[in-house]
Amino acid sequence: MTADVHIEAVKHRFQSFVALHGIDLRIAAGEFIVLLGPSGCGKTTLLSIIGGFLTPTKGKVLIGGTDMTRLGPKDRPTTTMFQDYALFPHMSLRDNVAFGLRMRGMARRARHERATEMLDMVGLADKAHRRPHELSGGQRQRVALARALAVEPDVLLLDEPLGALDLKLRRQMQDELKAIQRRVGTTFVHVTHDQEEAMAIADRIVVMNHGRIAHCGTPEEVYLRPKTLFSADFMGEMNRIPITPEGDAVTSPLGALPLPRQTGLMCVRPENLGLAGEVPLGKARLTELSFFGAHHRCRFAPLAAPEMGLVAHLPQGEAPEIGAEVALYARNPVILPEEA
Amino acid sequence: MRLLSWAYLVAAFTFILLPVVVLVVFSFQDSRLPVPPFEGPTLKWYAEILADRALMEALVNSLIVAFVSALVALVLGFLAASGLARVYLPGTAAMRALLIAPMTVSYLIIALGLLQMFNTLGVRPSLWVTGIGHVVINLPLCFAILYAAIGEHQKNALKAARDLGASEVQVLWFIAAPMLAPALGAAFFLAFTFSWDEFIIAFLLTRFDVTLPVEIWSMLRSGLSPATNAVGSLVFLVSVGIVLVLEFTLFRKKSK
Amino acid sequence: MIAPALLWTLVFFVVPFAAMVLMSLAHLEGREVVQGYALDNYLRIFTDPSLRKGIFVSLEITALVTVLSVLLAWPLAWIIASRVPPRWQRLVLLLAVLPFWTSYVVRSYSWALVLGEKGVVMNVLVGIGLLAEPVQIMATRAATVIGFTHFFVMLLTLTIYSNLIQLSPNYARAAEDLGAPKWKVIWLVILPLTLPGVMTGAFLTFVLCIGDYITPQILGGNNELTMPQLIMLQLGRRGDFPMASALSIVLMAIVTLAYLASARWLRMERV
Repeated sequence: MTADVHIEAVKHRFQSFVALHGIDLRIAAGEFIVLLGPSGCGKTTLLSIIGGFLTPTKGKVLIGGTDMTRLGPKDRPTTTMFQDYALFPHMSLRDNVAFGLRMRGMARRARHERATEMLDMVGLADKAHRRPHELSGGQRQRVALARALAVEPDVLLLDEPLGALDLKLRRQMQDELKAIQRRVGTTFVHVTHDQEEAMAIADRIVVMNHGRIAHCGTPEEVYLRPKTLFSADFMGEMNRIPITPEGDAVTSPLGALPLPRQTGLMCVRPENLGLAGEVPLGKARLTELSFFGAHHRCRFAPLAAPEMGLVAHLPQGEAPEIGAEVALYARNPVILPEEA
Repeated sequence: MRLLSWAYLVAAFTFILLPVVVLVVFSFQDSRLPVPPFEGPTLKWYAEILADRALMEALVNSLIVAFVSALVALVLGFLAASGLARVYLPGTAAMRALLIAPMTVSYLIIALGLLQMFNTLGVRPSLWVTGIGHVVINLPLCFAILYAAIGEHQKNALKAARDLGASEVQVLWFIAAPMLAPALGAAFFLAFTFSWDEFIIAFLLTRFDVTLPVEIWSMLRSGLSPATNAVGSLVFLVSVGIVLVLEFTLFRKKSK
Repeated sequence: MIAPALLWTLVFFVVPFAAMVLMSLAHLEGREVVQGYALDNYLRIFTDPSLRKGIFVSLEITALVTVLSVLLAWPLAWIIASRVPPRWQRLVLLLAVLPFWTSYVVRSYSWALVLGEKGVVMNVLVGIGLLAEPVQIMATRAATVIGFTHFFVMLLTLTIYSNLIQLSPNYARAAEDLGAPKWKVIWLVILPLTLPGVMTGAFLTFVLCIGDYITPQILGGNNELTMPQLIMLQLGRRGDFPMASALSIVLMAIVTLAYLASARWLRMERV
């Protein structure tokens, strides 16, 4: 029902293009892992390697402690939920869901019962005799999930399964996915390029870039304490202020800052920039203002360095007038080394 | 512009349909020559050809060759298309090119090559040999149609089936074949008509058990005759009938 | 899974072709084929006037037919795609390719009926006084070209039509919106967008036309021979397999050259 996955020094190349440069990753049994990154970062390649659709050029994949690097998809305790769901168009929902069980030689009645149970779990039991094309996108997505889970895999691989859904449905399906994962206890490995989706569902997020792991940690860690500029930027908007050592503290285009002596970029999320906080940034003029419902998005031009725009999200009703000059403060800054 | 369009349409259709209309009309000609003035109508030429044993044998031969060769080409093409769509191998492009290659070679050259090879091997021209030739020309066609029909969506469905534990045979039987049914039908139908209508391969590779086009060819040598019109009209009407049936059955499926 | 198809192609296509190359280097002594490795046959094709002429006849007819067919088919396809009401389009198209369903041999024969001295066309032309007496069309190049063009106009109408209806109507709308008159929309926007399809269809026409034996044999007669007719002549009259092979290979070389010349415009996967 569930198993851990160890990926050891996995490298993969397509002809001259290196898709993965030595990936090491340990996924615990029952964990919900999200592989996050822009297109071309190697996340889907890694998923295909775990699923057995690709054999890595180098390295090993262990599932439940067994080396499965060279086994095909049908011999692995994994199933994949495809981006386009890959439902069989000529079969009813019940036959789709029962397909894996049929391949395992389960008798007709037993597998139909099981398929109905699975459809019930995703709330589609009443549509068991429909064909996939009669369903909406969200419903198809549920059928694909039921089909993949019907064979009780140890590991479920999800390849951008929510990509085709509209935003509202997507948020709803995220909650459902998470709930179902808790219920069945299967290890989920989910691929996406949407960082909000990743944070909403993941136990741990693996941020990938150019075939390498940029950061791996809980959503809080990845968002609040990013290890690389890439993962810092990818997780959300970030203000960057370059700093250099001066005396016991540091200096920046905004003037001296009360931080320990170091070189790099001070990164501050917009919601951590405001009218109060531990690091004073000096005075700034508000140049643009827009209302986002939960917050005001404000663009400030610091008086010391007007060409540097700082973006702050201020709570409802706390935004100053455009043109007003206010003292800005930063909270929870993260200092990262500047990358080439 | 609008008037010009309609005038062009009428002119084009006159050009396109003229020979068929003349063919059919003069198959009812009640004289020895199928040229104006029209005399008749009579059905005597139809009676004559239906009683012509050589012609009817050729017709049966054609049906057999067309059916068998289309089926073989379909199966081979289906297997190859599913196989090549499965994974990307370095040789994929080369294999695809080889399988498609016969499509760009004139039938006459394919026939000549086979004729020479079978001559050297001491194999006599026959319906079987013709069938082999027809598979050679229809295999690329079936392969190309089916390969094109396997898009990303279909590939993912095949992948999903393997992922859920289906063996290769099961993947072909339970997923690929039913999913590609329309393309399989179209490929078979096209291959069947190509073989049914093929002349030069059959002409060079058969001797006594000829196919219908070859038999019609030999009828032509005795000059113009309403009997030939009758045969042509019959073939035409039967083909159109099949097309209409297919059109309506496919159409029904679509609207369902 | 791929092996059976590959094997079939290898045994019944590649091997015979290789044998044909070998055969083209042989020659005939009496009625016996003697294997050799000489290019005599090829030399003869380019020096013997009757053989050399065949290449030119074939090329001229094929070029003319290809151009004529495209010129006639494009407007027809466009009219069907944009002037005929959508619900009638399928029917009109079906009608436009109706003669496809007669046998190929019979289609050429029908043209022989139509174009003959006593045929319908001459009857009408003389009848309305356009001609004083029937003109000989049968057994001339004109008859071959008409027969071929008839077939390929249908083929091209089909391919160009399917190309046209796949185009988003927004291309034309955008062009009109930007102030282009109707004919400019067609000439500058629609036509270029269908060019890849047209080129593919034209190439197909070229290949099928230059390799066909039936149409020139039935309609063109024996006054001037095309390459396929010459090949059949070598086989039939003299059993000269080496020469027939050499001619076939020259024919294939021409097709290959045509392919290479137009390869960058072709989208073979669409055929």
